[in-house]
Amino acid sequence: MGLPVDPGGVQPARGAALGWRGRERLLALAFVGPAMLVMLGIVLYPFVYNVYLSLTDMGLYTFRHPSLQSPLWKNYAEVLGHRELYVVFVKTVAWTGVNVLFHVAIGLFLAVLLNQPIRGRTLFRVLLILPWAMPQYISALTWKGMFNYEWGVVNHLLQQVGLAAVPWSTDPFWAFLAPLITNIWLGFPFMMIIALGGLQSIPQVVYESASVDGAGSVRRFFSITLPMLKPVLAPAVMLGTIWTFNNLNVIWLVSNGGEPSDKTHILVSYVYKAAFTYYRYGYAAAFSMILFLILFALVWMQTRLGRATEASW
Amino acid sequence: MRHATALLALAALALGLAACGGGHGPMKLFIWEQMDPKEQVLLDAHLETYLAGRTDLLVERVHYETEALRTQFQNAALAGGGPELIYGPGDQVGPFSIMGLIDPLEGLFAPAMLDSFNPESLIRLARPGESEAHLWALPDQVGNHLILCFNKKLIPDAPKDFAELIEMAQQHTADTDGDGRIDHYGLVFNQKEPFWLVPFLGAFGGWVMDEAGRPTLDTPAMARALAYLRELRAVHGIIPRECDYDMAEALFKEGKAAFLINGPWSWQGYIDAGVDLGLAPLPPIPETGRYPTPMVSAKGYSLNANARGAEREEALRLMAYLTGEAAQVDLARELGVIPSRKAAGAQAESLHPLVAASRAQILHGRAMPVVPEMRAIWDVTRPELQAVLGGGKDPARAAADMQRRALAKIAEMKGE
Repeated sequence: MGLPVDPGGVQPARGAALGWRGRERLLALAFVGPAMLVMLGIVLYPFVYNVYLSLTDMGLYTFRHPSLQSPLWKNYAEVLGHRELYVVFVKTVAWTGVNVLFHVAIGLFLAVLLNQPIRGRTLFRVLLILPWAMPQYISALTWKGMFNYEWGVVNHLLQQVGLAAVPWSTDPFWAFLAPLITNIWLGFPFMMIIALGGLQSIPQVVYESASVDGAGSVRRFFSITLPMLKPVLAPAVMLGTIWTFNNLNVIWLVSNGGEPSDKTHILVSYVYKAAFTYYRYGYAAAFSMILFLILFALVWMQTRLGRATEASW
Repeated sequence: MRHATALLALAALALGLAACGGGHGPMKLFIWEQMDPKEQVLLDAHLETYLAGRTDLLVERVHYETEALRTQFQNAALAGGGPELIYGPGDQVGPFSIMGLIDPLEGLFAPAMLDSFNPESLIRLARPGESEAHLWALPDQVGNHLILCFNKKLIPDAPKDFAELIEMAQQHTADTDGDGRIDHYGLVFNQKEPFWLVPFLGAFGGWVMDEAGRPTLDTPAMARALAYLRELRAVHGIIPRECDYDMAEALFKEGKAAFLINGPWSWQGYIDAGVDLGLAPLPPIPETGRYPTPMVSAKGYSLNANARGAEREEALRLMAYLTGEAAQVDLARELGVIPSRKAAGAQAESLHPLVAASRAQILHGRAMPVVPEMRAIWDVTRPELQAVLGGGKDPARAAADMQRRALAKIAEMKGE
């Protein structure tokens, strides 16, 4: 709490300055304090409690009075020793990778188009943001209906062009593809908006200079647009990766909780089912800690990578 | 700046005092429920009557879907909170009672009051390690069972057996607009959920678990029931290739399905949609001569174990009122459900034209097990049912896989 006070009360000017600073700090603390308390309550406490749960046998029969596992890491050992974890992990990586790839590719493509002086640009912008503006829950259930084998519009369109109807909900491959398509549709507007904002901040003069130097449109895209978008796209991709990795709603709603035969789970839906269907809270808490570590490593690597390439931006 | 700091501190103090105050307002009770819209309207009306003229009590009803209600209540009760009363189907009391989230009710009401209920409707279950079964919920209705619904404009009289049903259904399965796709079906039901498989399992002599709660899924009866459902499409062509709950409802309401298998919660909705609704017990299957056996259970109110003091006492009075004779007569008259009180049950058939058929179906039903192991049973039968109906999996193999997975899941639930 500040510097030691002179017992004799000498050096009044310095003392007054310290007092002022102290009061300023107190005021700052009063402003930040409530938010800090809320953060402690809703972030730190649940996290610490989750760590504790992951070390206990909390389940259906021990719900009120869980005890610590012996050995303490028993739940972690069970999660890591389960072959299913690695299968679901690979699916989650594929789910995240494909989603983010398409989000960025489609988002960037549309952003470049919308950055051109085309007619009806405002209308197109509004229409293209719609998937993002609609509640995810409603979009997911609408898509689920559209993937119905017999009555869904997707199969109807496929049959109109002479293709066979696809078993979207009964075949594991197609059942995984259905939420993937839904989430790509839901996610590209975010990347489009971010990229559009980035594009508008690139000075036109840079493109003009490049054109004078003889650079074509492809060269301009890869040598100007993409490098100059990196500072805005990199954090967006990182956020998109975390959101997609942890996106329970879409996969749960479109695949109806992992159907068929729990073949369409990603890690987060798998852990949700363990916790809330089978009451395996301790196991699920350990599983979610492992999920946290995976995401933490991912963010750390991405941040390191970002710093390493910062000089070239 | 000094003044600003002082003002800030005063404001914080005032806020804190305001938050601490308010202890002298009316008592507030909460009910969490998973009712259908029409049941919610009736509950609101009953609460209004109960609260008429009372300024000392407020009751707030909060609606959740069945699964959300279960998880939300578990989380809230674990944290020492949650509503005083929770309403739902009988099978939710199994996990709640084992987890210690709800309190036994038998000592909280007068024996004469409990005697006024149909004994089969009272949801009793022994906790692990105890020999005595406790009462965990007071029901306001019994049934919750599947029954054969038919559109009387298309089907004047109910079929005598399933062979006749198939014959009738075939006459109403057609491509009416000539686009090469069938748009009218003879029979629809939710093919995704094993709740709709259970009646057929019973008709072939099987059941989901034995008296000790062990799964009994790997049986010839299960294999035959699965095969029979597949034959409805593959051989007789009377059901759609894929059909979930919403799809079945939509087809039936639009007059595009002659028969539907569904429960009491849905009937009034069909009448409101203009369907000339007929109800009949699911007819016997000629191959075995047995009637299909839908699961029968009660729906009712349980008491949160965290409810204390005056709130707990008031919640018990409210529970008695909401499951009382007057409320149940109203439910029967408006929705056609079967009351759980003997006195209300005696007059139910005169209150609603559908009650008699509903009762006739219950005679062929079997009580739904309320033990938590049922979750594992549902979870393992669901994908296998879908694999047989949609993916062509061998029914005998599906039955064997159900049993193997059910045993593993139950062991996991028990932490074994």
